[in-house]
Parts: sequence; C-alpha cells; structure tokens
Amino acid sequence: MNFKHKFAFLFPGLFVLIGILIFPIGFMIRLSLSSWDTFYPGLDFIGIENYVRLFTDDSRFWESFFRLSFLSVTTVSLQYIIGFSLALMVWRDIIFKRFFRVLFLIPMMTTPVIMTVIWRTFFHESLGPVNDILSIFGIAPPWLTNEHLAKVTIIIVEVWQWTPFMFLLLLAGLLSLPKEPFLAASVDGAGPIRKFIYVTFPLMAPISIGAIIIRLIEASKIMDTVYVLTSGGPGTSTETSSYYIFVKGLREFQFGYSAALSFTYLIIMIISLTIISKLLVKLLIKK
Amino acid sequence: MAEIELKNIAHSYDYKSENPTYALNPFSLTWEDGGCYAILGPSGCGKTTMLNIMSGLVSPSKGSVLFDGTDITSVKTEKRNIAQVFQFPVIYNTMSVYSNLAFPLKCRNFDENIIKSKVIEVAEILNLNLFLDKAAKDLTADQKQLISLGRGLVREDVAAILMDEPLTVIDPDLKFRLRRKLKEINEKYNTTLIYVTHDQNEAMTFAKKIIVMDSGNIVQVGNPKELFERPQTTFVGYFIGSPAMNIYDCAVLSDFDVSIGNIQLKTSTNLSNVKSGQLKIGIRSEFIKLVNNKSENTIEAKIEIVEDFGNYKLITVNKNNLIIKAKVERETTIPHDVVLLNIPAEHCCIYQNKNLI
Repeated sequence: MNFKHKFAFLFPGLFVLIGILIFPIGFMIRLSLSSWDTFYPGLDFIGIENYVRLFTDDSRFWESFFRLSFLSVTTVSLQYIIGFSLALMVWRDIIFKRFFRVLFLIPMMTTPVIMTVIWRTFFHESLGPVNDILSIFGIAPPWLTNEHLAKVTIIIVEVWQWTPFMFLLLLAGLLSLPKEPFLAASVDGAGPIRKFIYVTFPLMAPISIGAIIIRLIEASKIMDTVYVLTSGGPGTSTETSSYYIFVKGLREFQFGYSAALSFTYLIIMIISLTIISKLLVKLLIKK
Repeated sequence: MAEIELKNIAHSYDYKSENPTYALNPFSLTWEDGGCYAILGPSGCGKTTMLNIMSGLVSPSKGSVLFDGTDITSVKTEKRNIAQVFQFPVIYNTMSVYSNLAFPLKCRNFDENIIKSKVIEVAEILNLNLFLDKAAKDLTADQKQLISLGRGLVREDVAAILMDEPLTVIDPDLKFRLRRKLKEINEKYNTTLIYVTHDQNEAMTFAKKIIVMDSGNIVQVGNPKELFERPQTTFVGYFIGSPAMNIYDCAVLSDFDVSIGNIQLKTSTNLSNVKSGQLKIGIRSEFIKLVNNKSENTIEAKIEIVEDFGNYKLITVNKNNLIIKAKVERETTIPHDVVLLNIPAEHCCIYQNKNLI
C-alpha cells in the first residue's frame, strides 16, 4: 500500500473533523475580527477592536466569568463529596443494593430543562411547595429573587441533576479496585476511617481526577439551568459566561462581539482546566 | 504469640447452595507456637483459603479457630493480632517507608518512642534502614514486599505471620536470601511463620514442617525428609521431588516381593496382609544406583536419554516399555547402550489405593 492510499483512509475522518471542529472555530475567529451585528451584517474587518473592548470596557463579562468559576467549583465539589459518599454506601454488600444504585441514577436520566422548570415551580416564592413547608417555621426565603439565594438555588438544582454522574463514575472506580490493599489494612488493624484515608482515597485518586475534570468542563458550560431558573437575574447576579455570551449574541445580535467573547472564553477555559488538572494530579497523586 | 488450632474446619464458598462444593474438606490441625511451616500444594487446592481462615478474612463454613485455646472464629481480622503478607506487595502509596512500617503500631495506639525503636530495628533486619524517609511507592517490587513483611514483623505480639506466596515477584537470588532471613527471624523472635507456596523447593528449604494439600484435603504433614523418603500418597510422590517419583502398577508375589510386569523386586514392606486394592510401587530416582554387577533388585535396561542438569545427570531408561528415571552424579561414566540399575529394597514405597502401606 502506498502513501496516497493511507490518506484515502484518513480523509473521511479528517473531513468530519474539519466540518464540525476546525471550520466553526476558524469561522468564529474570523467573525470575532468583524463588527457583524443587526445594523451591519457582514464579514468586515475591524482588527482586534472587539478584544480591546472586551479587555478594557466590559466588566460584566469578567464578573460573569468569576461567578461561573464560583458556581462550577462549588457545584462540582458538592457533587464529588455527595457522589463519593453515595458510591461508598452502595459499594459494599447492603440490602437493596441494586435498588439504591438505580435510584441514585434517576436524576441523570431526566431532561435538564424540564427538571429545571419543575425546580422553578418548587422554589416559587408564593406558589411553590418549598416555601409552603418552610412557612410552618415562619420563614419564606425569596429563592429566586435574592441575589445570594438565587445562586444557592442554582447550586441545588445543578447538584441534584449531576451528582448521579459523579456517583456512577466513582462507583465504577470503587468496583474496579483490588482487594488486597483492603485486606492488608484490616490485618494491620486499620479502622474504617484509616482505611478510607490511606487505602480507598489514594487508590481512587486517578478516577477522582478524571471525574472532577469531566464535571468541571460540563459545569463551566452551565446555561440551561440559569436560563430557565433565573434568566441571569435578579439583575445580573446569576449570569454566567455562557449565558452572557448568549445574551450578547442571540438577544442583542452582536455576532462579532459575541464571537470575540466566545473565543476568549475558550482560551481561558483551556488554560485554566489544564492548570486545574495539573494541580489535582500534583495534589492527589504525586503527594 | 500463640498456638493456633483449627478444629474440624471446612469451607465452601457456596455453602448455602444445595450441593456445596468444598474448597476445604473437614480437617483439624494444630500449629505450634514458634513453628516454621509451609503449606504446599497445586493451585486451587485450598492453601489460601486455609490461610484466610486463620487471618479472619474468610469465615469458615464449619468448625472453629482457636488461639491458645480461645475460640476466635467470630473475631474480626483487625482484632485477631495476626500478620499477613500477600502475593503482590501491598504498600500505602501516600506514605514514606517509615510510616508504612509504623502503620500497624499506630493503628494500635503505641507510644511514638516504641514505634520509632521498633521500626528502626525491623528496617535494619530487612536492610530498609537507608530508605526510611523515601516515599514507599518509589521503591522496587522486592523492597515493597519487604515493607509488607516488615509491617508484620514490627508487631512483637503477633500470633503468626501468614505469607501467601510472598516471594513470587522477587528474583531468585534475593528469594534465597529472603528465605534465609525469614528463618533467622523465626529463630530469633520465635515467631510462628506459615508460608503458602506451590513451589516445593521453597517449601523444602524454608519450613521445618510441611503441610501438603490436594483438592481441599491435607494429604501429608511432615518434615522435608519424611516427605521425600516416605510420601504418604502417590500424589505427594508425584508432587514432591524433581523429577517426580517413579510410580508403577505392581502385584504382590510373596510377603516382601512384588512384580512390575515381568520384573521382580524385593521391598522392605510386609505385604502379607495385602489382599486386594490397586497396588502401586514408588521409587525415587535419587535412590536408584548405577551398578556394574548383577545382583538382587538389579534391572538391565536400555538407555533412552541422558540429560545433563549441571549438578547431576538424569538418565531415562526403558525396560520392556517401562520408563525409569534415575538421578546420578555428574561425573558418573554412563554406558552407551545398556545399564544395570539397582533399586534398594528399603526405598521402595508400596501404595494400596494410592496410600502408603
């Protein structure tokens, strides 16, 4: 088989890659260098003007970015802690093990947008059942209209929706662990806490890092929950990067500028997630 | 330290099913305090199950485990005061070598000074003293296995150190030195050592007493000499020794004489009471001598192969389609065609239904 034949086999995959990845990114970069909006639709060239505006005159983008960082780190941390606890619970032989394993996976199988609508109804300040119950204790927190509580609500919904995914990955990890280290720890006289600290947790470190990174990538794209639950409000207090980009691009139709936002966001995410994964490896494995 | 007694122990991994298959058939065995034992047998014969029953990792389907007369069958592993070394090195990856060795003592809330002196003492025995501050995961496989062993040795009061084929991952030279070291430890601290292996050389060079197992049964308990010279069953004869024992079907001719085909042999076993049952004769190739003159128990046979193993030669001969293997010294001059072999009567073992008479 000669050199050209090898390429013939590569082309189909390469075309798909170019079609779905390289072209859109290239087009986005080109778009970010134009002033395409509703008044002047077209691919003109304005240089890095959009980027200058973004770095000097758009505090709203940076605020939404830090808010996103806070929300994703908090939700993923909570998902990891709860997911790991649940996985540990159904890892060993307990009664109704299979039932619990399926039960914990249900939230992941539901459609996020529909579930968020249901959650919005739950947390509705005057009509929702949450405040109905809380009114027994004489409180009725403004879940969706207070800037801090709105963030808490988003965190609750996100944690509920995505903890099962973390649970699934960590349970699969736990089930694949070798038995000997646990037997050796029993022989050495270690109790359940020591076993967790010195055996389970270190053995689970590589799987944990994988699960956390996957969830961080997913969590940083958070959009549907915010859109349905608060629409970024009250004010801009729950606005995340992707929601802000959506507002600029598909509400205000500033295509050129939103492309610049998207590209900047992509670069920041690649850099920050690389740093986070390196840090996690250093912290959990190389220690 | 303690005397360990296994009383009417039997174990099946599917005990609750209608027809449970037993990994260990009922048996009783006592392990003397300070003994150096080896459990020898092929894979799947129940060695590890027996070990795990002693350490509490497996709870027996029947019978009880006694430490110094106290029944501890339902006591958890953590509380049993037993040490176990597994086939593959198990270390705590996040800890240093020192912390690894100190771990069993820390779990038992020992004083820091006692821990330190004990860890240093054990590290010196195992030549780990230069690595104490190093991360345990950076060590080689054999050093890691030494750490596993060390975690058993730091506890002075252990009832026994159980080892499940612990030297599998270690190269031959170090294996030899480690076995030597284990023996020294056994002599110095009088710690009971129980060593599981499927390698007869390992068992023979290590233990004072060997428990040979086959298909969930204990077939013979004895010292290396007994196992070699008087195997209690044909299985032990096959399993122990290299090459395996020469075993042939035979028939009784008179009180001390048997015949293998048309070969007549004198034995030292009184066969006057042997009436029925399948009879076999076993002869170790090490006891068969090359002779120059015909006498009693001498067979003339044709040489098929002569193999040089460096320290000895193995001759395979054929006598009327009967294959006999004989081990001779390397320097022995071996005739080209036909040899005369002498089979000493006192080294002929006669088996009735596979059991030694």
